[in-house]
Amino acid sequence: MKFVSTAIILWAGALVSAGTPAGATAQRGGPPPAAGTGEALFAANCAFCHGRDATGGASGPDLTDSPLVNADVNGDKMLPVIRSGRPEKGMPPFAALPESDIRKIVEYVHARKTDVDTSPGRRRKVSAEDISTGSVASGRAYFDGNCATCHKPSGDLAGVASKYRGLALMQRMLYPTAGNAASPAEGGERRKPEAVSVTVTLASGQTVTGTLTYRDEFNVAFTDASGRPRSFSTSAVKVAVRDPLQAHADLLAKYTDADIHNLVAFLQTLK
Amino acid sequence: MRSWHLAAAIAVAAVPALALAQAGQGIDGSAILKPAKDSWPTYHGDYSGRRNSPLTQITPDNVKNLGLAWVFATGRNDQIKASPILVDGVMYLSTPDHVWAVDARTGRQLWHYANPENKAFHIGHRGVAVYKDLVYLTTPDCYLVALNAADGTVKWRTKIADASKGYWSTNAPLLVKGHLLVGVSGDFDNLPGILQSFDPEHGDLQWVFHTTGEPGKTKPGDAMGGQMWMTGTYDPDLNLVYVGTGNPTPVLNGGARPGPNLWTVSIVALNPDTGKLAWGFQATPHDTHDWDASEVPVLVDAPFNGTPRKLLMQASRNGYFFVLDRITGKNLLTKPFAAVNWATGVDANGSPIPNPDKDPARDGRLVAPNEGGGTNYRSPSFDPATGLFIVSAVDGYGIYFFKPEYGDYGWAGADYGVYSKGMLRALDYQTGQVTWEHDLYGGGGGAGVLTTASGVLFTGDSNGNALALRTRDGSTLWHSATGRMGSPPITYELDGRQYVVMGGNSSLYAFVLPQ
Repeated sequence: MKFVSTAIILWAGALVSAGTPAGATAQRGGPPPAAGTGEALFAANCAFCHGRDATGGASGPDLTDSPLVNADVNGDKMLPVIRSGRPEKGMPPFAALPESDIRKIVEYVHARKTDVDTSPGRRRKVSAEDISTGSVASGRAYFDGNCATCHKPSGDLAGVASKYRGLALMQRMLYPTAGNAASPAEGGERRKPEAVSVTVTLASGQTVTGTLTYRDEFNVAFTDASGRPRSFSTSAVKVAVRDPLQAHADLLAKYTDADIHNLVAFLQTLK
Repeated sequence: MRSWHLAAAIAVAAVPALALAQAGQGIDGSAILKPAKDSWPTYHGDYSGRRNSPLTQITPDNVKNLGLAWVFATGRNDQIKASPILVDGVMYLSTPDHVWAVDARTGRQLWHYANPENKAFHIGHRGVAVYKDLVYLTTPDCYLVALNAADGTVKWRTKIADASKGYWSTNAPLLVKGHLLVGVSGDFDNLPGILQSFDPEHGDLQWVFHTTGEPGKTKPGDAMGGQMWMTGTYDPDLNLVYVGTGNPTPVLNGGARPGPNLWTVSIVALNPDTGKLAWGFQATPHDTHDWDASEVPVLVDAPFNGTPRKLLMQASRNGYFFVLDRITGKNLLTKPFAAVNWATGVDANGSPIPNPDKDPARDGRLVAPNEGGGTNYRSPSFDPATGLFIVSAVDGYGIYFFKPEYGDYGWAGADYGVYSKGMLRALDYQTGQVTWEHDLYGGGGGAGVLTTASGVLFTGDSNGNALALRTRDGSTLWHSATGRMGSPPITYELDGRQYVVMGGNSSLYAFVLPQ
């Protein structure tokens, strides 16, 4: 958890009670899958978008909850899609993969779906349709009044709805972190777009700036402009931290649920 | 302050069992009534749950000189979440499926017990219980194991619940007179909430208390759940045990279980001899956010609005601080101590009134606290000298989803954390006002709190620092980078020296003043 800004997302489950675990599926530790298995082929070819356990990732949907997979019998629906891809949705073709490998991937996805479907008490899935209840016009108005100081629909947010779907888009909108940028199983992505900047002023008056690694009561650590890790005792220097995400944190106490759904509806138009 | 050469002091976890210097007499329930200063004989240290020690050798003035006495590395990956238990110079430390006996003077391992491998849920372990010459461990696969304190061999093993149905256990049992009170967990399934009392000598079942109705006597629409997975507290004069109860199931589908769902998310007062309910107070009627009221029910005798009273205080997972009269269960104070947005007011009983608009919904609802709660299992502390109730608080938000397609079994919904910030908060027990707060620099504390009669407070922050603060104002007196603390600190005096023992990641660190 050292990617943090001064505000860390508490991954529900990291500290959560014994009575009530959290986190959709426990991350599986242990050795990597044996080469050539469906799991290994899926990890190599599909996990980047669909998540290591096929329950959805940065840009690909949850395959255990997919109508296509549900309708598939022995690859009759999945094989053609994997071969040709879905260019309109950003999925590349996997024409070079031998059919035997694709069939192993199909079997693996079905096994994952069975796992999820036979865990009746576990957490359920949220689909993109579930959260599409807001008004685009109201969302645009809210955006113009509250978000436009930092964000531009035609600039930094252009195409955001193609990068993040459904729940991931909603989570990123509320508070973007490495954790909800991609499925945690992939280790997430570095938070470059929202890096927290820090400036340290030494007793001599000299300043050093960089990208925050962590800050606590006693030390501040960051990567300086040359890419070198630096740390200083907070008692010896002046520390100024600029967290661009603070505005997101401040909004949480102000949003109505309608505001959130309207904003999501507006962001979903930014394909 | 990083001058400790920790590696030099690491106790290698492969020392053969040493004969104890003196034959241990162990303890029975009477020894927990007035714990000796060289012991920490039960999860909270005593029956009150105050985690406030009378020891005064370490003071606000000299705590800056604390140094390392020893380190015990479990050698495992699990973060230590248990309270160490100390009797007769031997410290017992547990993680799921494991107990280590450690010499409290040196940190050297005396023995190690490993429960057979099992597939049950290994989320954490709170600690062991001790009675005479036995040490008790609950296991993830729901056994109560009695170990011989001398060498860690198994004296008996008894099944406390059916793990194949979805029960598991993390519980540190509570010994009250001739009763060993044991709780279980499990809310991925619709299970009856049970607290059981076992005979500590032989492991025979004495009684069962059900929070949500006895199996076979429930009807459709009744809530299940309400597991009592945390260690309760006990008032010997009133002969009442106080236990916090867990959330109802199905967890996020409130429509399947209309009404308040008694006695889930409650504090219940029970007669330890019979398991009969004396009274109950519900922290959240009809919970739909997984906010167990399992947190420590802290017992304090103190004036309230000018009248001396027998009080019970709880900083509850739902973000509210409650003060009750523990004779009757009558509510005296209800006040938020962390970010909350889910209640429309407080009812006549003193329970917050849930806002139905914050129930989980198909398109999601932004709710504070998040699932982890305004606080969680980590122990608070009550300091009688200042009247402060000190709790590791979290201001957090989550989004909660429910649709009928999720059904009415187990979790029956989805929720995700959005953002959280951890603060140590000191509350005035008579008003609930925050007297001071100390930034933990992260998403949540994770560490319990210990206070001492000299005015020092021990806890940990979010970044792996053990902290000593001045109880009166929360100012920092000392710190050491031991790794993230997931356990409550303990303190004791041996050979005239006061030790403070704190977990950091998967190791245990003992600090003393220089001789």
